[in-house]
Amino acid sequence: MIGLEGLTKRYPGQSEPAVDALDLAVPEGEIVVLVGPSGCGKTTTMKMINRIIEPTSGIIRLQGEDVTRTPPDDLRRRIGYVIQQVGLFPHMTIAENVAVVPKLLKWKNDRTRSRVDEMLELVGMDPGTYRDRHPKELSGGQRQRIGVARALAADPPVMLMDEPFGAVDPIAREKLQNEFLRLQEDIKKTIVFVTHDIDEAIKMGDRIVVLGDRSVIKQYDTPERILSDPAYDFVAEFIGAGASLKRLGLARVRDFALADWPVSSIADGREAALKALAAAGAESVLLLDEQRRPVRWAARSDLSRSGASLERLGTPVTVVQPQATLAGALDSMVSSRVGAVVVVDGRGAYTGTVDMGVIMQAAETMRDAARQNATAQLDPEQGAELERELDGGEAEGPGGSTGGAPDTTVPRR
Amino acid sequence: MSVATLLPASFEAGREGPDRRGLDETRPSTGRQVLRYAGIPVLLLLVLGATFVYVTTADLDDIERRLLDPSRLASATLRHLQLVGVSTAIVVLLAVPLGILATRNSMRHAVPLIVGLGNIAQGVPSLGVVVLFAVVLGQIGYTPAIFALVLYAFLPILRNTIVGLQQVDSFVTESARGMGMSRLAVLRRIELPLAVPVVLAGIRTAAVINVGTATIAALINAGGLGEIIYQGLTLNRQTATIVAAVLAAVLALLLDYLGGLLEQVLRPKGL
Repeated sequence: MIGLEGLTKRYPGQSEPAVDALDLAVPEGEIVVLVGPSGCGKTTTMKMINRIIEPTSGIIRLQGEDVTRTPPDDLRRRIGYVIQQVGLFPHMTIAENVAVVPKLLKWKNDRTRSRVDEMLELVGMDPGTYRDRHPKELSGGQRQRIGVARALAADPPVMLMDEPFGAVDPIAREKLQNEFLRLQEDIKKTIVFVTHDIDEAIKMGDRIVVLGDRSVIKQYDTPERILSDPAYDFVAEFIGAGASLKRLGLARVRDFALADWPVSSIADGREAALKALAAAGAESVLLLDEQRRPVRWAARSDLSRSGASLERLGTPVTVVQPQATLAGALDSMVSSRVGAVVVVDGRGAYTGTVDMGVIMQAAETMRDAARQNATAQLDPEQGAELERELDGGEAEGPGGSTGGAPDTTVPRR
Repeated sequence: MSVATLLPASFEAGREGPDRRGLDETRPSTGRQVLRYAGIPVLLLLVLGATFVYVTTADLDDIERRLLDPSRLASATLRHLQLVGVSTAIVVLLAVPLGILATRNSMRHAVPLIVGLGNIAQGVPSLGVVVLFAVVLGQIGYTPAIFALVLYAFLPILRNTIVGLQQVDSFVTESARGMGMSRLAVLRRIELPLAVPVVLAGIRTAAVINVGTATIAALINAGGLGEIIYQGLTLNRQTATIVAAVLAAVLALLLDYLGGLLEQVLRPKGL
């Protein structure tokens, strides 16, 4: 989709090139994250794709077409561009900001207008409220969303994002990242994403390119493999400590066997709850309502104390969705008195719990897979199989994340 | 008595540095806004009224009466306005494009030179500039006066144009370029609108400076209120000098006020 061949940037008066003969292929519909220490040339690399920085030599391909000599303004209108500082136009309204590229492409007015509203809704901003406001009147997070809406307005197949969530506070960043990932599931853009934050790279990337000095590719791989099998000490160092914990941040609750917990319906009354507790030999029982939605944790002592109604006694329940990461589940778990977190389905009904046993089991599975993965490098087919397993058994096309290393991967240790 | 002391503070501000009033102004409350919009005109009317009362009640001799003849005062004021208006318009036509050129990437290195030349032009005492042009052009009157005024008002507008364009956030222009706007479109749709408040502040300063400099232009027979001031001085008729000086000061304050209004109107929303 995006192909860079021998891309080089040499600044006059500098002996070393800023980007040295970079080859990179970005597959269609994926987020490829360029990550590396500051000054490694990742932003320069990204800005050469839309030729904000003109490469000294090398070829840029977009959808197979050599765009190295295309008039840059035409090229840029086909590529969405989001930068950390957003760069909204302060003298234009939100609607005018979003409409910039459609207007450059000479869309009809009513088409542009409806597109603007559509984009604002897409990024979760009510068009009626925000259309006629100016950027100054928005919060940092809202400006970031408008930046994304503006980049998407003309429906470009490709987006370049330079630390797009870098300038907002951690809570807003987390939210924007999640929103954007959800958005990407629908829009399936080919995205080059630059960050210096390895955690953001792991979270956002379908693939990660770890760059060293002069934008030399140290490793180009899926987040799972970058974490479990860093190709060089450089990469391992860059990932930093706690790779196993980070791996928990990649695994989804839905991909692992959940633990059962004694449950009882509130409608069945106190006796049934006590019976369930006795049958399981457990310390507490999970009380459900008529739709099987968890209501309270009740310990034996809570149940034997008469008086309080079942809806009130015990302690409140923390729930997570199946899409939650194991890291998120672990976090809720350790802060829960029962030592388990309840997993609910889309309608909020009980499906199981995650306790320490589930986490340990998952960690072991992932460790085994990683170990086998490393040895399976000799046998690509076996490696592909294992990868599929790692991906939670989801069917992947031949061009998906199976087969692992694209051509540009450097040899392993 | 020096005419310059009667001129508003922005006369001096023009020499100090770029006039950034257009940039940093915070929006005042409505009460203060009314006071600001109404205050200056009321003050100017009071000053004019007081001058009128003084002139009509004072015991004037023949010479004074001739100097202060209403139709003469009116035509001198109009001439003064003409000198200021024409010269300022010429400066806008010259200095704004030059300022735009100076901020283009390829011209970056020329900026210190251009601003330096402008500084020299303004550093020369205005009397010297006026006389210089009379000598250089070998004539006196309207044309050399306009030349002198143009040179003198050049720097504030040039400098404010440069500053106004340079203070546009580089991320804003980068994102505009990144979205596929041409250089010209970025200039026209992004940079110039965002620079408007600062450029206008420069034009306002230049116009006010020119009201002062134009009084000096009377020395080379360019007419205007300066003529009455100098005749009053040479004929030792202080009343005439004071009245003409007050009129010049009122004119300067009025232009400053109108410039401020224009800034309010033309300032892009959202800044």
